[in-house]
Amino acid sequence: MDNAAVTTPVRERDRSKKTTLSWGVPILISVGLALLVLGPWVFDGYLLSILIRAYFFAILAVTVDILWGYTGYLTFGHSAFFGIGAYAAGLMFLHQGFSGGTIASGLALAILASALVGGLVGWLSFYRGASPFFATVISLVLPIVATQLLLSGGTWTGSSSGITGYETFAFSLSTWYWIAGGLMATVGLVGWRIVRSDAGRLLTSIRDNEERCSYLGINVPRVKIILLIVTGAVAGIAGFGYGSFSGVVAPELAGFVLGTELIIWVALGGRGTLWGPMIGAILISVASAYLSSSIPFAWQLILGTAFVLVIVLLPQGLIPLLIKPFGFGRQSAGVPELVERPSTGTKSENTDAAALRMEGVTKSFGSLNVLQGINLNADAGELIGLIGPNGAGKSTLMRCMSDGAARTSGNVHLCGRDIERRPPEDCVGFGLGRKFQNANIFESLTVAECLRMAGTTLEKPALFRRAPTLALPPYALEVVRKTGLDAKLGTVAQDLSHGEQQALELAMVLALEPRIVLLDEPTAGLTKTERTQIGDVLSSLAHKYKLCCLLVEHDLDFVEEIATRTVVLHQGEIVMQGTFDEVVNSDLVKTIYSGSHPTGQEASK
Amino acid sequence: MIEPALELQEINSGYKGAMILHDLSFSVNPGESVALFGKNGMGKTTLLKTIMGYLPKRSGAVRLFGKDVTRVPTHRIANMGVSYAAQEQPLFADLSIQDNLGLGLTNESEFDARFTDIEQIFPVFKSRLKQLAGTLSGGEQKMLLVARGLMMRPSFILLDEITEGLQPSIIARIVEALKWEQQEHGTTMLIIEQNVPFALQVVDRYLVLKQGEIVASGEADSAESAETVLRHLRV
Amino acid sequence: MALLLDWLSTAGILFIIASGLLMIFGVMKIINFAHGALLTLGGYTAYVVTQLDVAPWLSWPLAFVTGIAVGMLIEFFIMRPLYKRPLDAILATWGLSIIIGQLIIMTFGREVKFADTPLPGTWSVAGMDYSAYRLLLILVAVVLCAALTALLSGTRFGVKTRAVIMNEHLASALGINAGRIRFITFSLGAGLGTLAGTLITPLSSLDPAMGIPWLVTAFMLVMVSGHSMLSLMVTCVVLGACQMLVSTYTTPVIGGLSIAVLSALILRIRPKGFAYG
Repeated sequence: MDNAAVTTPVRERDRSKKTTLSWGVPILISVGLALLVLGPWVFDGYLLSILIRAYFFAILAVTVDILWGYTGYLTFGHSAFFGIGAYAAGLMFLHQGFSGGTIASGLALAILASALVGGLVGWLSFYRGASPFFATVISLVLPIVATQLLLSGGTWTGSSSGITGYETFAFSLSTWYWIAGGLMATVGLVGWRIVRSDAGRLLTSIRDNEERCSYLGINVPRVKIILLIVTGAVAGIAGFGYGSFSGVVAPELAGFVLGTELIIWVALGGRGTLWGPMIGAILISVASAYLSSSIPFAWQLILGTAFVLVIVLLPQGLIPLLIKPFGFGRQSAGVPELVERPSTGTKSENTDAAALRMEGVTKSFGSLNVLQGINLNADAGELIGLIGPNGAGKSTLMRCMSDGAARTSGNVHLCGRDIERRPPEDCVGFGLGRKFQNANIFESLTVAECLRMAGTTLEKPALFRRAPTLALPPYALEVVRKTGLDAKLGTVAQDLSHGEQQALELAMVLALEPRIVLLDEPTAGLTKTERTQIGDVLSSLAHKYKLCCLLVEHDLDFVEEIATRTVVLHQGEIVMQGTFDEVVNSDLVKTIYSGSHPTGQEASK
Repeated sequence: MIEPALELQEINSGYKGAMILHDLSFSVNPGESVALFGKNGMGKTTLLKTIMGYLPKRSGAVRLFGKDVTRVPTHRIANMGVSYAAQEQPLFADLSIQDNLGLGLTNESEFDARFTDIEQIFPVFKSRLKQLAGTLSGGEQKMLLVARGLMMRPSFILLDEITEGLQPSIIARIVEALKWEQQEHGTTMLIIEQNVPFALQVVDRYLVLKQGEIVASGEADSAESAETVLRHLRV
Repeated sequence: MALLLDWLSTAGILFIIASGLLMIFGVMKIINFAHGALLTLGGYTAYVVTQLDVAPWLSWPLAFVTGIAVGMLIEFFIMRPLYKRPLDAILATWGLSIIIGQLIIMTFGREVKFADTPLPGTWSVAGMDYSAYRLLLILVAVVLCAALTALLSGTRFGVKTRAVIMNEHLASALGINAGRIRFITFSLGAGLGTLAGTLITPLSSLDPAMGIPWLVTAFMLVMVSGHSMLSLMVTCVVLGACQMLVSTYTTPVIGGLSIAVLSALILRIRPKGFAYG
């Protein structure tokens, strides 16, 4: 993911370091809470009303941070949900009057309409193969459509001047202050719990590496759509509160400009921290309220310049930098205890079917045929080495086994189930596990978190807490222990060595309890010891646990050591298969590997 | 004393999280051709990418014709007369043969003059200049790759497994082309190969790379050189 | 007949607006959010020329040169550090558009302004009088499309640019300076943006926020059309027709939305847009 490098907050890297919480955190939290409680006695009326608005905006900023800072979805359109909520209040109170019934139905309308729009936008934005750019583009269209619809609503929506003069809650300013502050604190705390929970790590996983997510059986588009629906509904509630408080709703509330201002608040505050955007939203809203009357144009100019500078020079935002001395931004990394997971047995149906069956599989790019009519069967307990010169189509073949959309024609069955045109996450559900050539892991997660993500489909991660234990199937535990990863559970994955990252990815794949494991050049770049270790692991997977392993490998010695069957791919066809000796000593293979020079074959590997 | 065409000094290079080359040093003299052997994953391609300046993080120094190019961007290294034929995606499949051949020239007007030589060596490209490179067969693409290098009239040629998957007739044609270039222009070459017999036909000297270090070297003309190389590769 | 000319001139205007954005998106895969602000800047160039009371034509070269200069500055100081962070590059260009917008407000104020048209009056087409300037814009769009296509596919610069788009690593191994190609295309794209702003200004009024609605439209056109100027032209003609029809049969407001909404749907169903046939 392109944006992974961008959005990796410094904060997360710090978690691996042993740090104790300083007094700064409780002090800052107490000051914040005290201000929320004591505000009405401390601030004057003008500031109070500005703060109330700012708190509603801060809620919105939190939802944007969850989407952008944590999940990596840059949205310019979250203001639309706020606008929907605000107009739900305004329209309901204006046209239906103000009563207990209209309050309830207005709020319900705010939530439902936001959720519905969230679902629709989610469906439009997130689908297989959609680029992150595209989702951002759609998020731009949303507020513009929303504003135009409000503008063309005539007297019903009040057109460009909006709605005003409706009856609303007769609360005092202090009460509103506590309501808004309380709501903000609640949203902030719930959000804080969720992003730090096991389930919350899923968001960061998606930001880091969507491909890995789907190859762990996670339906990424669905997660994002749900997230958009939920954050949309929360934004709708905030908007409803804003509309009820201010007594005025205007199309700008749903507009593109507010949508982009949100991004500025979040960026300046510090994306991926929740409290940063919250503070950013409050401070900038308050400052704008005061300064936009005294130095209107210069203030915007300063804000714009600060924004550009922060994006270029300080991607993690300003506030984390300012508050760091107080000890904020450091969290202790709780390391869970490893336990063995008894086989969940969900994938053991159809045990008599072949683990893999490919019939007449072809793949062509335009006129170029990369695979031509591949027939291949593999059973449980087999360890198949797939060899062939570069460009023979080995990687393409692997892709066709693990992604229903990859092949041009032919059939693929995994554990007796036809994969049709299904996405990787469904193939994983059928019992597939795929290890890529380059360690395909979640770089900003710890080892333990990576492993937990791998178990998402088998064990629902907790939404509000961190589980004290981490359950893995016996063979995954074996990999973790053998390679010493069990001593590094709290280490952030990108700080591991190359060999450790490879081992981690293998353990993640095994944590899926797959029945068929695909490995693309598992020994590339490994040291001699690591190579022996992985050989032992693979042998035990096939022989002891009866998994079907299929590896693409350049290192023929390695194939010789462990494979029970060797398959040779050449120019998109399986030209030979059998035991390693049969294959390597055949004239056909010698020719393939060396042009016509028989001696060249040995040099090949 | 002659300045080496290429000099590597204690190079450490690799990718994020994986250093592949460790304190590697060797040099290639002007006009000399050197083959570099080694199993897959031993850092041969990494070495070429390091020389070409694709991999920025490294210690040590790379000198080309006496000039330190350790931190010089790739395009300027290329403009010093270095031609690099990569193993993966070495051609612009959606550009014509002519564009592929001409892109490396600093002055487009030299195209015709230089192409007269090339079409002697590779007649297969004659009157097919407008064809898209992606429509060529695998062997033709490799020949185009060599032809593109020769068109640049380089002082240094880097080849990464040029013979892979090729028929003997095409390999023979490539040998001929490279020998012609050596005789005609005295071009220095560094060749990475799996195909030992092919490489030994073309080069003067060989090196064997293992775990990012040089473990053997020797002259290419001795009768035992192929055996020596193969023995090192087996172990 | 009037409908046909409306349609063609709408398509032409759309093309003029979007071409600069495509130029930048094609090479860098970055959407230049400052494009809207550049349009506005171009518009104010026309206003300045009107105020100076010189030939209105002069605003064309003036806007183009201003845009190129601004583009050069942006590329050098802002874009260059951000090529490896494309989403942040988008954000930075958005920040820039705020800065440019505020500078325009500080210089010219918020109120609506007007600029002279270089070509007043009407031309007679098939016995019907039609705004000469709109007809001229059709011509400009066609010339621009031809010129940009020629530049990108006919010249050595174009071949190099396409080489960088296809495979930057390989291009640099052939001695092509990808950084310079990006610098030139970004500046050129920015210049096309300001030129477009100047060109459309005589058709309507001028205000500091005039660029924003165009930005999203241009953006969607580029996303749908893919990489070539010709396919952008086709996209403009097709979606321009849709906009015309929707505006005629419903309200202009919905018509204005039609391009964005249709493009979103097209991309959802066919992610590659109109590219590749």
